[in-house]
Amino acid sequence: MSLPQILSQLSGGMVRTIGIFFLTLIFSLPLGLLVSFGRMVKNPVLKNLFKLYISVMRGTPLMLQLMVFYFGPYYLFRMNIGGNWRFIAIILSFSLNYAAYFAEIYRSGIESMPVGQYEAAKLLGYSRSQTFFRIIFPQVVKRILPSVTNEVITLVKDTSLAFAVAYMEMFTIAKQIAASKTTFMPFVVAAVFYYVFNLIVAVVMEKLEKKLDYYR
Amino acid sequence: MNYLEINHIKKSFGNLEVLKDISLTVKKGEVLAIIGPSGSGKSTLLRCATLLETMDGGELSYLGEKAVSMDASGRSVYAKPAELKEIRKKFGLVFQNFNLFPHYSVLRNVTDPLIHVQKKSKEEAYRIGRELLKKMGLSDKEAYYPCQLSGGQQQRVSIARALALNPQVLFFDEPTSALDPELTGEILKVIRDLAAEHMTMVIVTHEMNFAKNVANHVIFMEKGVIVEEGSPEEVFHSDNRRMQEFLGKYNEE
Amino acid sequence: MRKKVICAVLCGMMAASLTGMAAFADDEAKTFTVGFDAEYPPYGYMGDDGEYTGFDLELAQAVCDLEGWELVKTPINWDSKDMELDSGSIDCIWNGFTMTGREEDYTWSKPYVDNSQVIVVKKDAGISALSDLAGKTVGVQAASAALQVLQDEEQQKALADTFAGLQEFADYNSAFVELQAGAVDAIAMDIGVAKYQIENRDNGEDYEILEEHLNSEKYAIGFKKGNTELCDTVNADLDKLLADGTFDKLAEKYELTDMVCLGNDDSEEASSEAASSEAESETAAETEMAESETESAAE
Repeated sequence: MSLPQILSQLSGGMVRTIGIFFLTLIFSLPLGLLVSFGRMVKNPVLKNLFKLYISVMRGTPLMLQLMVFYFGPYYLFRMNIGGNWRFIAIILSFSLNYAAYFAEIYRSGIESMPVGQYEAAKLLGYSRSQTFFRIIFPQVVKRILPSVTNEVITLVKDTSLAFAVAYMEMFTIAKQIAASKTTFMPFVVAAVFYYVFNLIVAVVMEKLEKKLDYYR
Repeated sequence: MNYLEINHIKKSFGNLEVLKDISLTVKKGEVLAIIGPSGSGKSTLLRCATLLETMDGGELSYLGEKAVSMDASGRSVYAKPAELKEIRKKFGLVFQNFNLFPHYSVLRNVTDPLIHVQKKSKEEAYRIGRELLKKMGLSDKEAYYPCQLSGGQQQRVSIARALALNPQVLFFDEPTSALDPELTGEILKVIRDLAAEHMTMVIVTHEMNFAKNVANHVIFMEKGVIVEEGSPEEVFHSDNRRMQEFLGKYNEE
Repeated sequence: MRKKVICAVLCGMMAASLTGMAAFADDEAKTFTVGFDAEYPPYGYMGDDGEYTGFDLELAQAVCDLEGWELVKTPINWDSKDMELDSGSIDCIWNGFTMTGREEDYTWSKPYVDNSQVIVVKKDAGISALSDLAGKTVGVQAASAALQVLQDEEQQKALADTFAGLQEFADYNSAFVELQAGAVDAIAMDIGVAKYQIENRDNGEDYEILEEHLNSEKYAIGFKKGNTELCDTVNADLDKLLADGTFDKLAEKYELTDMVCLGNDDSEEASSEAASSEAESETAAETEMAESETESAAE
């Protein structure tokens, strides 16, 4: 089987892999921020609820979470899980899982901010939300960027876990081609795909870090 | 009218009583210096006055408006958040370690509150900001970031930032103690210039020169109480034993 | 400007991934959703054109053509097949699905393939009978029928206990590489898969299938327990396809002629007996094979 043929068969899967990747980031990055707020509230009930959420999401395999989100609604509510549910469940579980990791990264960044920045902002009359979004958050972003890069690179590779609910992302298709053609070639292509994808991620994140290098 | 009036402030951290019934007033154009050894409570006093710390007892008002009043038993009762927000506009604070916003340029540090808090136009904010930076001798530094400046320059930016909001009372929390000794002179000069313009100021300081040369009223605090107060001449020539001890130690250093 | 470009790219990707799944979503006409393991040639796999094909899928297509249904081919993760069927995301499991030993768990169609579990070895390995496997490492696919046979007390558990070990693997591709490399001495699998692998691997001539089979078992279409209505419809269609020759043509196309058993009326009975005991199952299977041969000869 020729390489162009393998590539064309894998291309649909690549688009779906990239789709999982971007949709997960789009949802989990803001969601993670909200979760980190929940994790830092004073109310002990709420705070422990969010702690539990983070602990469950980080403490159980993502593959298992995928299956729970995909099959759970049927077993719990007899919901019809046909149609788009497979894809929705994947984006849901990836986003909720990554939000938990991002929440802890945000928290570490926010808690590392010197209290003086808050005090200065308060004295200058900034509101609470202005203080967070104008003063604190931009600095937090710079501090957490290396940890975020790590997670994003892991996410690229984690997309292949969608095979657990038989979503035809790139790696699942690579396995199918490998099975029907009795060759390992698709896996080589898959490896190169993941590597190049992550190379691009690394370059973009490095650019971003450089861009924020103008201050200490 | 008293620009700042503090009556019977009490503050404890756990069992430790840091402020024991402190009262003072600052009139328009007056420069008050608060001196005293470490742990005397002078910084806590300043943090209570600037509403960064909540006091347990006593009252606080700016230009006759009560930020904190006392109930019958002397406990502090804070005004509503909306009122406190208004009162905060009346004073500014220059921090010991500047607390500039590192991700903003010098000019933006000064103008951002003008634009986003006071809702001034960009043009006006830049005009005010550039004028103040010029006054601080930093006209050529407006595009720099705080990390590119010396400590003295950073402190002058933070003074400009506080002045931009046009406060009626300006507090300084040990403005030179994070600086190399040779840089304290430039800050001293700025404060002296402000005094000449009749800026009402409260300065917590270790720097006796500030107290002697700039202030027209000095308070000496120790262990949470005011031990001595009066004009610089009166305080520095006081017979009070503890005051003498403090000055003696200070001179040895 | 740059932001706009990024935005457009993101929107494009979202649209693309949404259309990607729309393939599973469209249900204007009555659909017939077949769940299959896309890594199971020749029954279900990805063809050269990137479309899923195989004996079972073409047969399913033929049934849909008769009924005017739209066939939806849904590749599933074999480990989750019961959950997929239970939850209604697929109508049936149609994919070289072994009925033997699972009679009570699904509503079954007529068995259409008689499949044996066999052992594949390297030609020069000096293994020619099941008894030669004593002390050897045998590979077997996780959750497969072969594994079930080897773990079932009433079937070949006694034989499996003589092995040095059972090595479970995820797919046949890696299993054959392990066999080639000597990491395992033999692989247990369905005869159909074994033939396909040996014919299609570059070094296929290095392998052989032991003449002695582990057991004989049947493939049928598994419907959700109780869904007899759909099952009956499909059974009737299978009869039609057998009568008009479509079934045999497909079997020929996929080189399964030796194995198909549709139309052998007592095959169902025979297969359930087959599970009851090892000795019986072998006799039953033999009789049955003989019967089906006589019948096809008669036809």
